[in-house]
Amino acid sequence: MRLFRLTLSTIFLRKAWVICALCVLVIPFVLPLISSASEKPVLIQPARIQAAWSTLWIITMLWGYFTAAKQGEINATSGTGEYFLTTGLGATRQLWEIWLAVFIFILPMAVATAAITQFAASPADPAERAMWWTLNTQYLVLFLLVTGPLLCLAVALASRFGSVAGYVVTLGLTAYGLYGVGYLDNLLKLEENPILQSIWLFSPHYHFADLTQRLYFKSGALPSAAFWKMVGYFLGILALNTGISRVTFRTKLSS
Amino acid sequence: MTFKLDYIIFRFINSVSSAPPAPRPSLHLDSGLKIGYGSPIAALESPIQLGGGTHFILARNGRGKTTLLRTIARTLRPVAGSLKTEGALQYLPEDLRFDQEMTAGMILRSLVPKKRLKEALELAERIELNLKRPYGRLSTGNRRKINLIMAEFSTRPDTGNILLLDEPFSGLDAFARQAFEEIWRSSSDNVLRLVSCHPDYDSMTLSSALLIDRSTIRHLTGGDQTWSELKNLLH
Repeated sequence: MRLFRLTLSTIFLRKAWVICALCVLVIPFVLPLISSASEKPVLIQPARIQAAWSTLWIITMLWGYFTAAKQGEINATSGTGEYFLTTGLGATRQLWEIWLAVFIFILPMAVATAAITQFAASPADPAERAMWWTLNTQYLVLFLLVTGPLLCLAVALASRFGSVAGYVVTLGLTAYGLYGVGYLDNLLKLEENPILQSIWLFSPHYHFADLTQRLYFKSGALPSAAFWKMVGYFLGILALNTGISRVTFRTKLSS
Repeated sequence: MTFKLDYIIFRFINSVSSAPPAPRPSLHLDSGLKIGYGSPIAALESPIQLGGGTHFILARNGRGKTTLLRTIARTLRPVAGSLKTEGALQYLPEDLRFDQEMTAGMILRSLVPKKRLKEALELAERIELNLKRPYGRLSTGNRRKINLIMAEFSTRPDTGNILLLDEPFSGLDAFARQAFEEIWRSSSDNVLRLVSCHPDYDSMTLSSALLIDRSTIRHLTGGDQTWSELKNLLH
């Protein structure tokens, strides 16, 4: 795990993660107090939920993908990828170790967000509170299932096409999956179009993993069957992303 | 000062020799091996067999020193022919670099196996590598020291090792160079080092040298052969 340790130390030393961690821990408490929610105390908890999960998504998309892309590019251009390759650390293992080093920073932030929602924004009603744990855990699982493979894709794309490409593609893909697919759906409701329909069908529906509104409106946990169907769907995307990442990833500049 | 360096080298030898005798490393280059990027830039006329110890690759610029090392490291396919290696391989590219903000100490702590970290850090201190200075603010020579320490202390005592070193001495001061040469001498049994370099003094002894000249790779040996003789063979 030498490459993992090296990548972990590099990210740790840059300290940008400290700002991200602070944002995740502070924004959910500060933002509701300076918003209109401060005039209606009943709105503080929903505002906290919104602030907590939005911050996590934004940090993952802005810092997480950027860090993953940067590490992927550095590994291929600095000679470290080639060095490790000659020591027997194959491309798959290198991709895994770099991904793991980045993911280790995202994981505690996601857990902290779920914990904030659980302990600092849980509903007063006992029946609603009973479902809170389940819904929070479901959200955490789906969030990690969506962002994990995208971090891997950012590493891989950046190793071949540069960090800008790695970052922009994964950022665009996430934004499209979260919001763009919804707009496409609205378009299709207005007018049928087989091409757009096919694009919609094969698009990554990341918006399924965004359960913020469900928490916000206290709609309760996802039914078990629906949740496992989503897990299966995102595992399918994970497999596809992992495959593309492995094919794209390279350990050194081409000769 | 010399005593402490001797002590470090003694510990290095001890860490290598305390294990049961390790299989010896070997490198076999078949005759007909052609190296290059698509089209051949050099080829072997007769097979070359190398064992433990230090072997130098000598050639003028652009004749294929790095290409040969990368072919042996298998990060580049031979244009034709084959080769065989026995031992744990490490190829240290000339331009290997780390994050600008990482300190030398952090790099070594991340990369050197725990068992040998103490020795590695002691050697770093003896050869005046500032462990607290960020990589981006180190001189070329000090960056080379990090790479070399990392490679030397990552060798495995339980097996033969092959170290492919691309221009490891450029920018390195004489004291540090001497320290590494001592380590090379002491561990020549289970480490095969293939070193590409441009020797900087005529009397330097090169008892085993691979010469790349006129697109041909030859192996010349002789206990007393020096750079002043060998350089006349390069065109």
